[in-house]
Amino acid sequence: MAKPKTDPESSLPLTPAVFHVLLALAGGERHGYAIMREVDASTDGRIKMGPGTLYGTVKRLLEAQLIEESDERPDPHLDDDRRRYYRLTGVGEQVVRAEAQRYAEIVELARGKKLIRKPA
Amino acid sequence: MSNHFNNRTLTVSQKVYDWLLRAYPPTHREEYGPAMAQLFRDHCRDAWGEARGWGVAKLWLRVLPDLVKTSFIERLAALNERKSMTDKMTALMQPRTVFLKVFAVVFLLILCATVAITFIMPESYASTARIKADSDNPSNDPYFLQTTFEIMQSQAVLVSVIDKLHLNTVWGKKYYGGETLETTNTLAMLKSRISLAPIRNTKLINITVYSEDKNEAAQIANAIAKSYQDYRIKVAAALAVVSLNRLQEQWRQNEKQIEQVRAEVSSSGQQLKIGSVISDNPSPQEQAYWDKKQYLDGLLETHKALYAKNEVGKLDVQIPKTVLVTVTDPAVPGHSPVRPNKTLNIVLGVLFGIFLASIAGGISVLIALKFRKRIDKSAITN
Repeated sequence: MAKPKTDPESSLPLTPAVFHVLLALAGGERHGYAIMREVDASTDGRIKMGPGTLYGTVKRLLEAQLIEESDERPDPHLDDDRRRYYRLTGVGEQVVRAEAQRYAEIVELARGKKLIRKPA
Repeated sequence: MSNHFNNRTLTVSQKVYDWLLRAYPPTHREEYGPAMAQLFRDHCRDAWGEARGWGVAKLWLRVLPDLVKTSFIERLAALNERKSMTDKMTALMQPRTVFLKVFAVVFLLILCATVAITFIMPESYASTARIKADSDNPSNDPYFLQTTFEIMQSQAVLVSVIDKLHLNTVWGKKYYGGETLETTNTLAMLKSRISLAPIRNTKLINITVYSEDKNEAAQIANAIAKSYQDYRIKVAAALAVVSLNRLQEQWRQNEKQIEQVRAEVSSSGQQLKIGSVISDNPSPQEQAYWDKKQYLDGLLETHKALYAKNEVGKLDVQIPKTVLVTVTDPAVPGHSPVRPNKTLNIVLGVLFGIFLASIAGGISVLIALKFRKRIDKSAITN
């Protein structure tokens, strides 16, 4: 299993699929389908992940120790026991923050060049 | 029936997906296979809830390319983990073997998807009612056909079809879990199921309606024909009333004019003491009298003609022109579904499968050759 990199910057840039999965988990632990729906909703349907892409990404994130499997259930009565929940690790959180910061810097740069406007 | 179809569609989809998971390497399948199958089940259930068979078909169109791409990536990743990689890769990356394997997998996947989608897609029946439509205008109207098509798909015709067949409630129950639909939504759905076609060199028009229920298709096609017929009768009756009012107004004016001219002729005749026969050499006053009398005769003739027209107009109002639209062939329920065309779909699936599988095979050969080069290079340098 790959060890987590100590410097989050060294994991950047992330692929869109990885970034969106980490962003979805930044809102709390989720199971696979919830991650997929969150990505779909947050990108207005522009990124639609299939089961293969999602679990391929999950596998690589688990190997990189950016996420981990959670044994806790938000509400065991309402949920299916077979579902697997995932959450961000400390390193994962640092990486997603660093990537978000990187995007923010890019947006700032684009604004400086008047390519995009500030939101009203 | 809906639940039965629901279960069948979802069960078949899940079984096919479970089987397709074999494309992934065993380790990946053992670890994530059940979770992927669970995710697909959830997605499938929601897709069915959103758009029934079409939703599931669209899901398959998204899931299949994902499955092909990611299974290939996972296979390559699994190969990288093996210790005797060089030997195995060299054996595996034989261009011919790679091409045949990838061709077979892609072709089978596409064929399976085509077959699955063809059998998942809801069956649709078509029913056609044929009408003969004549123009109100006796002269040749070049836009008559286009106008007729637009009217037949307008609210004026279709809303009464929706009301008559209670489509807001019926389709609400069938497609939206019992919720009564807004007429605008039902109208849009209805329009998407209608196809209108003229029959060349005739005044006949085919009204074809598609539905998964053969009886409903026939009922709707007949209701559209009847509604259009009623619309034309209503319009013709309204036009007849307008025309009659105009004629009556003309008749009244003509009558007034006759009274006036008759009084003038009578007073002038008495003053000039003119008999019933015109003299050989009439004076200018006498000539004016005779001209006026002739004008009066003309007015009386017009009066007679207007009277006759009035009577015809009254008849047009009392007996509407039902012959403007006649239903020559009412729609009957179809015997067999017209959509999906299973044979055509499968033939297209085979052709498309061969095409895509050849491309995928070609790309795999290029990748394999690249890998072999890299392996050969590392074997020399290590």
